Amino acid sequence: MDTAILIFKIIIIVSVVLLHVAYVVYFERKVIGHMQARLGPMRVGWHGLLQPIADFIKLFFKEDIIPSSADKPIFFIAPVIGVIAALGSFAVIPLWDGFIIADINIGILFILALSSVGAYSIILAGWASNSKYSFLGGLRSSAQVISYEIAMGLSIVGVIMQSGSARLSDIVNAQAGGPFIFTQFIGFFVFLMSALAETNRVPFDMPEAETELVAGYATEYSGMRFGLFFMAEYAGMFVMSSLAAICFFGGWRGPDFWIFAHVPGIFWFLLKVYAVIFFYFWIRATLPRYRYDQLMSLGWKLFIPLALANIVITALWKLL
Amino acid sequence: MTFKELFKKVFFIEILSGLALTLKHSLSPAVTRQYPEKRITPPLGTRALHALTRNESTGEAVCVGCGLCAAMCPSNCISIYTSEGEDHKKIVDRYEVNTLKCLFCALCVEACPYGAVLLTPHFEYSGYSRSEFIYTKDRLLENWDKYMGGAKSREYFDKFWTPKSADFARAESKVAESEGKQ
Repeated sequence: MDTAILIFKIIIIVSVVLLHVAYVVYFERKVIGHMQARLGPMRVGWHGLLQPIADFIKLFFKEDIIPSSADKPIFFIAPVIGVIAALGSFAVIPLWDGFIIADINIGILFILALSSVGAYSIILAGWASNSKYSFLGGLRSSAQVISYEIAMGLSIVGVIMQSGSARLSDIVNAQAGGPFIFTQFIGFFVFLMSALAETNRVPFDMPEAETELVAGYATEYSGMRFGLFFMAEYAGMFVMSSLAAICFFGGWRGPDFWIFAHVPGIFWFLLKVYAVIFFYFWIRATLPRYRYDQLMSLGWKLFIPLALANIVITALWKLL
Repeated sequence: MTFKELFKKVFFIEILSGLALTLKHSLSPAVTRQYPEKRITPPLGTRALHALTRNESTGEAVCVGCGLCAAMCPSNCISIYTSEGEDHKKIVDRYEVNTLKCLFCALCVEACPYGAVLLTPHFEYSGYSRSEFIYTKDRLLENWDKYMGGAKSREYFDKFWTPKSADFARAESKVAESEGKQ
């Protein structure tokens, strides 16, 4: 019986996440469109609302081209690794009080580990495609993910120290007195920027830099395989936004007074996730891409020292 | 590094002001026009589909076949074929504009001494074959009837391209003026 409930939960989460992934693309195009004084998609359905479905149908029925010199087994498996790593992370994310597939006590480590596995999909795709652009994209991704993963892990250490647990639901419960954003704002800043780099978003979208690498690691992919990469990237964004919402904004906890106390937790959780996602798009509409050496120096010379300083400050504060 | 510069660098002031700008733009109305539903009438003087002026009294084309427009055309899209008629009169047999090659610079309009060729504001034209875009003399005259003609053409020539034939003295004085400057 427990297994049946678990499978039911998994089906719900996967379908909800995939639907969100489809519609977040629409949301992104609308947000960026309005920020550039355009309208965004308007044609398919009312205000372009059916656009994601049309995109999906197009991707699904497109010809699947495999380069003749590609390393085929790795070429096939690379996008699948990306999607599995991105969707797998949702297993440990508590959507509201009690709704979680696997409440493991190292939830944060699990998510960080899976996001590193997700980087493998990009590196392997770049390697297996046997193309210059893809290979450069893969190399960039490996260097970028290594340097930003450290900063990201360190930025969350402050949260773990403050809550005393790496279990995500414990972290949310530890924020009953107020979200950690007020005490961990340095950690939040470092986490947010590292999450941008981790999910290959502008201004750190080196691995797929359209203007210089065509599409980086995805150059040789077409049809649904490209769609899988796309899905993995946006699901990864949701994972990182959920992590930010849980670790710094108090997850499903909302304001505890008046009418707000009766609003279900999922509403607060989604509100926070959407706010972070909106910030992602806002950044994308504003900033150009960083140069590669700037990206590296930002990661190693600014974010890692900042995160370390945050740990020291949190430790001292805990001690007092 | 002064304190102000350090402050700017540490708190990413420039990036924050950039974010504020994009947010401000996202709240302002979009400039996009939903084209097929909301159309605008392009103002007179818009450089779009070609036309040949029809002489209102004779009903014939004003064009005399001097070939100045074809000589001026940078993309070489005008071809004129003339023959000798009775009284050594020059007859324009064919006057063709290939609108696929045209870049709508209106140099032909500027070159024409009689205001015989012009660009109408009509821009919505399409076709299924290349030959549909080669406008012959009859079709160019038809364009004149449809999109120009009458008061509209007078306004057009008065405002934008006064033919030299209408006012030779002014054209001459302009030439003299520019030569005087040199």
